[in-house]
Amino acid sequence: MRLRLAATLALTIAALPAAQPAAHAQGVPAGYPATYSEVIEAAHKEGALSIYATADASEVSELLAQFRALYPKLKVEYADQNSTELYSRYVAEAAAGKTADFIWSSAMDLQIKLVNDGYALTYASPEKGALPDWAKWRDQAYGTTAEPIVFAYNSRLVPEAEVPRSHADFAKLISQKKDAYRGKVTSYDPERSGVGFLYLTQDVQISPSTTWDTVKAMGQAGAKFYTSTGAMIERVVSGEHTLAYNMIGSYVLQRNRKDPTLAYVLPKDYTQVMSRIGFVSAKAKNPNAAKLFLDFLLSRAGQVELARKAMTSVRNDLQESHGITSLPGAAEVTLKPIRVGPELLTQLDQITRLRFIKQWQKTLAAAN
Amino acid sequence: MSKPFRIAVVLATALMILGPVGLVIYQSFLSGPFFQPSSTLTTQAYEFVLFEEDDFREAFLNSAIIAAGMTAIAVPLGCIVAFLLVRTDLPGRRFIEPLVLVPMFISSVVLAFGFVVALGPVGIVSVWAKGIVGFIPWYLYSKTALIVIAGLTHVPHVFLYASSALRSLGSDVEEAARSSGAGPMRVALTVSLPMIMPSILYATVLVFFLGFELFGLPLVLGDPERILVLATYLYKLTNKLGTPSYDLMAVVVVAIIFVTLPLVYTQRKLLAAANRYVAVKGKATAQKPLAIGAWRWPAAALIVAWLGFTVVIPVSALVLRSFLSTWGEGVAIWPNLTLNHFRELMEYPNLVRGIVNTLLIASVGGALSVGFYALVNLALHRWRSRWTGLMDYLVLVPRAMPGLIAGLAMFWVFLFTPVLQPLRQTLFSLWLAYTLVWLAYGMRLVSASLLQIGPELEEAGRVVGARPAQVSRDVTLPLIKAGLIGSWVLIFVTFVREYSTGVYLLSPGTEVIGSLLVSLWGTGAVDLVTALSTVNLALILVGLALMYALGNKRHA
Repeated sequence: MRLRLAATLALTIAALPAAQPAAHAQGVPAGYPATYSEVIEAAHKEGALSIYATADASEVSELLAQFRALYPKLKVEYADQNSTELYSRYVAEAAAGKTADFIWSSAMDLQIKLVNDGYALTYASPEKGALPDWAKWRDQAYGTTAEPIVFAYNSRLVPEAEVPRSHADFAKLISQKKDAYRGKVTSYDPERSGVGFLYLTQDVQISPSTTWDTVKAMGQAGAKFYTSTGAMIERVVSGEHTLAYNMIGSYVLQRNRKDPTLAYVLPKDYTQVMSRIGFVSAKAKNPNAAKLFLDFLLSRAGQVELARKAMTSVRNDLQESHGITSLPGAAEVTLKPIRVGPELLTQLDQITRLRFIKQWQKTLAAAN
Repeated sequence: MSKPFRIAVVLATALMILGPVGLVIYQSFLSGPFFQPSSTLTTQAYEFVLFEEDDFREAFLNSAIIAAGMTAIAVPLGCIVAFLLVRTDLPGRRFIEPLVLVPMFISSVVLAFGFVVALGPVGIVSVWAKGIVGFIPWYLYSKTALIVIAGLTHVPHVFLYASSALRSLGSDVEEAARSSGAGPMRVALTVSLPMIMPSILYATVLVFFLGFELFGLPLVLGDPERILVLATYLYKLTNKLGTPSYDLMAVVVVAIIFVTLPLVYTQRKLLAAANRYVAVKGKATAQKPLAIGAWRWPAAALIVAWLGFTVVIPVSALVLRSFLSTWGEGVAIWPNLTLNHFRELMEYPNLVRGIVNTLLIASVGGALSVGFYALVNLALHRWRSRWTGLMDYLVLVPRAMPGLIAGLAMFWVFLFTPVLQPLRQTLFSLWLAYTLVWLAYGMRLVSASLLQIGPELEEAGRVVGARPAQVSRDVTLPLIKAGLIGSWVLIFVTFVREYSTGVYLLSPGTEVIGSLLVSLWGTGAVDLVTALSTVNLALILVGLALMYALGNKRHA
């Protein structure tokens, strides 16, 4: 039954232009070294693959179907969970000796900590040449997407002329139109949300004075800070808030495709780029199957499918067609990717964190 | 039941409770995760949380205030609603009764979101009110609003406890009071409700505890004003320090356990004279609804007002939202109606499996749990021993762990106990975790009905020569049938929306609706969240309608 289903899938997918690798079903993908057949063979012997990820199962169902069609002998299990849960679960299971084979999470700092603590297997993906330098570290951690951090706004309530196009614009707009934007500005709470903390600290590194001006202006405008993406997006759509700072692009893009009320801007002065980091677990029971999945994620086919779900491509050769550059208004934007590397570890230093949060609180309150 | 059997049941239960709880207490004295060899014994986590953390103090205080406030609202109201629906001739009571339970079925995150859609700053009702009076007369994100909403949405919990006890109360006592001239209000306050004091007290303690570990409502309603409660504090703690600090989280649990002790002590003192509450005696009594005369209409109005605020407003806002492509101030509803969210939902992987798993664990699993609770209760029933006192304290302890930590502790137990390991990724682990965390609730429901049984009934059984086990099976159990069914209903609804306890035990194949909802919420897919909640609600309503129809047939 499973075989028949896989065969049907393979047929369906072969009919799609985007999924050419299906043609190589059992052979070595084009451009890979001939020795790759050993990895495939070893993976077939393993016969299974378990993935822990933060991306919603519904977002990757097609991606997984394509992977299954490519390697129908592998039984793939995919468990999605939030990033803190994923971390706790993985660390405990690794200690008990049995855990998932591939770890794929949007919490960049936690992923790098795991890699740094020795949880990742060293593996040079044949696709790594196609990745920009910032997206890989030590042949262990791979950035698999390049998603912009955007300003989101309610297109019904914010006049087109007012929409801020740069970070400086953002600060200027809300400090000048304090009353119009009172209570209307929103962002992640760096105190309570890991991603909020990460993006704001990156802002401070890139452009300290503008960032602190923005925080101060947000304080003056009585901005509201949230922990959950869903609640925040929904409140911008409804008009409870109208302008959101540092939103994760893929979630905003997804909603924007369904409901144009939620619009977005890539800030021109610089747009941060985050990436979902994946690595093969050092404790993997099926390391070869995990390698196949990593390579598939990074392959053109995998990247095209991710981009279809608004997780824009990290590959150099897909920038124009499926990367951030393909988004409207991205042409004149300077991209500032968050480096996949040990720099992220400083984010997790407790004293640095507490100090940063103190300064944020002070700046926010200074306004009143 | 024979003594060795009783002791065996008590020991097994105690082991079940102390496993995860002991692990958490041990963790609170370590410098790092217990499974990492580098962790050492220390009290630094206590020093940090108790003396250096202003946030902990704030969260603890907020939780205490919210818990006390919501208990003060939910308990009296729940008792009144139960009295009116079970004991009086209130118009339409058979129709209203199932509706009372609706707020319990909806995940609290989603219910809170329903309130945002209806009563938030640009909510549908708010905009309408603004059109009439010129401003919005309430602010949804205040602590007061949180307390009121938490209180009103927990009325059904109290209702379930109180109503199942009231159902086994004979009408003789009430009629005696009535014929000596007491009004319906006086009957309720001085006769019926005092008779079910054990149930009310249990409900009070448990609702207070639910308030202490409240998560969904403060997550959504407390977010904008950053109202911190213990459960959301745990997240903040993780974020402040960068990585999850299990030692600090464990200290928070220990602090909550210390709150349980005086509560259980008071409850035991108040219930010392249990025989005062015996209602099911050797002599049969008929049950007749109490005529409340002119009180009928204000009483009905009270219930309708409560239902309107707690059920109709948030639920209809939620259902409406699931059919809308966009919404907000100044957005017309008609042109934006759509079925797309449901279409999209149908394509969701594992959706059917999630629904089936949820129904399975709630119905079959719920029944098994009630069976287990009844067994433990029977083991303790009429046993004058220190063991029973110990159990009174123990059963509440698992609930002292906020869902997030309870889930983690259960996960650790399954992961690091070799015997349990193979069961970890099955529905069984999920069921066991749920059963344990809700132990206090189920236990109290069953024991409240047991307290109502007069000892003469069981003694009669012994006199005619039945063995202890036979008495339990043929006399006691049939007498508390109503209580057991009530427990099953409570456990069913609890399991339907439970999620956090199982979060680490879920694996591909054992998804439940709760977990699907949370992962969708995390990625901002509110469209799908509302659609899934609507489907969930429709399923539950069909279930309730079936129960109602069957119930009617039985009564006819």
